[in-house]
Amino acid sequence: MSSIVVAGVASRDVVTPRTVEELADTVRELLGARRPFAFVGGGTQIDLGNPPKALDTIVRTVALDRVVDYIPEDQTITVEAGISLAELDRVLAQYGQMFPLDVVDRNRATVGGVIATNAYGRRRQRYGTAKDLILGVEIVRPDGVRARGGGKVVKNVAGFDLPKLMVGSLGTLGAIASATFRVYPLPAATRSAALRFDHADDVTAAAKAVLERRLEPESLALYNHDTLVVTFAGTEAGVDAQMRTLLEIAFATQGEARELTALEQESYEQRERAVRRDGAWRFRIIAPPAVRVATLGSYVAGSPLAVPVAYPQLGVALHAYAADAIPPDTPGRSGASQFEDLRRYVGSRTGGHGRLVIDAMPNWARGKIDSWGSPPPSFALMRSMKASFDPHGLCNAGRFVGGL
Amino acid sequence: MTTLAPSVDPRLALLQTRFAAVVGGKNAIVSPAELRTYECDGLLGYRVRPRIVVLPGSTEEVAACVKLARELYLPVVPRGAGTGLSGGALPSEGSIVIGLSRMKKILEVDLDNRIARVQPGVINLDITRVLAPDGYYYAPDPSSQSVCTIGGNIAENSGGAHCLKYGFTVNHIVGLTLVTPDGAIVQLGSAAGEPDPLGYDLVGVVVGSEGMTGIVTEALVRVLRSPERTQTLVATFPSCDEAGDAVSRIIGSGIVPAAIEMCDALAIEAIVAATGVDWPLDCGALLLMDYDGVMAEVAEIAARADQLCRDAGAIEIRAPKDEAERLLAWKGRKAAFAAMGRISPNYFVQDGVIPRKDIAAVLREIAALGASAGLRIANVFHAGDGNLHPLVLYDARIPGQEAAAERVGGEILRVCLKYGGSVTGEHGVGHDKLCYLGEQFSADDLETMQAVRTVFDPELRFNPDKMFPTPRLCGDRPGAYVAHPTEQTGEAGRG
Repeated sequence: MSSIVVAGVASRDVVTPRTVEELADTVRELLGARRPFAFVGGGTQIDLGNPPKALDTIVRTVALDRVVDYIPEDQTITVEAGISLAELDRVLAQYGQMFPLDVVDRNRATVGGVIATNAYGRRRQRYGTAKDLILGVEIVRPDGVRARGGGKVVKNVAGFDLPKLMVGSLGTLGAIASATFRVYPLPAATRSAALRFDHADDVTAAAKAVLERRLEPESLALYNHDTLVVTFAGTEAGVDAQMRTLLEIAFATQGEARELTALEQESYEQRERAVRRDGAWRFRIIAPPAVRVATLGSYVAGSPLAVPVAYPQLGVALHAYAADAIPPDTPGRSGASQFEDLRRYVGSRTGGHGRLVIDAMPNWARGKIDSWGSPPPSFALMRSMKASFDPHGLCNAGRFVGGL
Repeated sequence: MTTLAPSVDPRLALLQTRFAAVVGGKNAIVSPAELRTYECDGLLGYRVRPRIVVLPGSTEEVAACVKLARELYLPVVPRGAGTGLSGGALPSEGSIVIGLSRMKKILEVDLDNRIARVQPGVINLDITRVLAPDGYYYAPDPSSQSVCTIGGNIAENSGGAHCLKYGFTVNHIVGLTLVTPDGAIVQLGSAAGEPDPLGYDLVGVVVGSEGMTGIVTEALVRVLRSPERTQTLVATFPSCDEAGDAVSRIIGSGIVPAAIEMCDALAIEAIVAATGVDWPLDCGALLLMDYDGVMAEVAEIAARADQLCRDAGAIEIRAPKDEAERLLAWKGRKAAFAAMGRISPNYFVQDGVIPRKDIAAVLREIAALGASAGLRIANVFHAGDGNLHPLVLYDARIPGQEAAAERVGGEILRVCLKYGGSVTGEHGVGHDKLCYLGEQFSADDLETMQAVRTVFDPELRFNPDKMFPTPRLCGDRPGAYVAHPTEQTGEAGRG
């Protein structure tokens, strides 16, 4: 493959270094030639963000796929960035452990991509995001210099926290070459139930009761505004007891509860992946957890392509629409204005603390709608951070918040 | 207004007047007697008298002080409660210390969004005290939590016994108001508890930056629902070998305990003498463990942990009979450093991290280091996450012992690095360990961290001479210990 399209922009070339040293050499050469570059792992989030200002070469990290150091007794693993989550799962499963971040395609998604995009799904409820799991990182800076931060042990406060800085930086501060993570034991038992409600108030009451009753679900996801799927994972006795309490909660909140078979549970997870993968339009609404975030997306006029999914205790809702659900410019109304209206609506319904982030959009909209929305108040520091790492603006420049 | 003695340098009086205009006369301190309090933090062996100490009462006052300090080219050293153990709040020569002790309000508790908005001078434990009636708590629990403040916790990314399961300060701070070194007031991260703030994770950078990125004047902290049940177990072992093995077995079996603390025989002796906790003295090591979560699960996991301890050779395993006994056990653990006074005139706390599977082996190496230096070393530490706290005992009255203790402390850090660990798990680098940071990280690593630092502080005026090794401070022999003049005269000891 000689070209890859990143957020609507096609590269001129693709290179795939086989070692971290080769990765560093590649970046140094690109810098020397002043050729704009971007890093791509499995490519599952390649639509994310604004079009890069300029793009010459894609540096693929998929050949950096080695396990550097796995210490099962310490529940830590160090891997190169290009390893797929499926392969990581396989390695960890040999010792009954897991990497509990949810992505749309474990066969393709890489560890580096998960870090760069801060990808998460339903299990964030219990395990958090890469920010909570990452212990150390090695990066290749935009000037080709290799640098480490953090370490390989579960606790460490030596030096500035480069690992945290890299999480969610969308490859604009350099390439992630390898990373160390805290991993978790595979749960002995997992059970799920779906609670269906007629009224939005009851959904809120049930989600709140799960917390109030001190249940500790692995995930809690709301499908289509009315069906709350709650999964418990842990010891057999712990899971059973929590399922019993959940049924009490369902009864008290007028929910129709049903335990899910493994197959049904998988089908719900399938739907979660669909809303994160399918559709020319995909967006996330983010708000403080007390906001009923699931209801805000219905403002869009077209009909959804996938069942919307929300994580009510986190304050995140995911939506997917087909390209034609939001038409391009029509006389008297630009296509982009519909999203800008939604953005304003989300802001107004959340006391200004809610946001709309567009994960994918049709090509006509690129460059007309900002994926991220207005930059945050600390943007001057972020711009200075970018300038400090990438003074020539060659590294995935323009794709992230405010053109970082 | 503080009345200044006639002997006060007129330039100093002028300085005092300028800051007094911002914070009020009694909050702009220049008298030598009052400045003494601010000469050091919990790392007592180093003392530097700042030029002036100011105690602002609001974000705006902090910003005005920072701007004025900038105008006057003063190095700035932020200070919380001064309990830090790495010299992070040690003043620099000619510096202004900005103390946050007056900013101690809990501004807002929002349980629906599971956050609390607090000022930096709020004492860690006070957040939990306010939340407890509703069944919520603030998770990070450094042993000094009854006196240390959130601002200091943020600067040091403080840990504690229960960060094994719940993470460190950085995992519990969602947003910050920061006064940057140029005096600007900036909001970072989440403003009201919304997840995924846009852009780079500057909160993640500021937490743990040891006062080098500015001054935090407000923090939005995450609050957690307290668990349904907490089961505490106290297990004794013939030696640290068996106790270390028990830790490896428990972690390796896939259990995620809320806390596993380990004490060796010397530490047990000191803790029992100081607190009266009912622990047996005829054992070589003790594990204090918490398992928490939903009731049914805790019972099952605690039973498995109990069995794993027995498999590893435990002598006896007890569960506290009631909450009072449970709290007493934890009180004993949290008072451990102070308890060392019972068994030694002086001690020196070290803080390093190793992989959890290597605890027994590393403790043997540490014991050997102590033996070869003729010093006793007590160990009381966060075994569950491999965070060692060897306490090197010495008598400062015996010539050479203090220097020997320092040397052993340094060698212990090198052992941690040899096993792939870190030179600090929670106390920070500060002044104490900056020369060791260069042994943990390469020049390129450190240069990259400096690049991050200068984004916030291009003039390197905030907490200068901390964290980063320099030839001036470390020479070409990193880690070489030079006793401070006050130590040589016996005026000050460490810890």
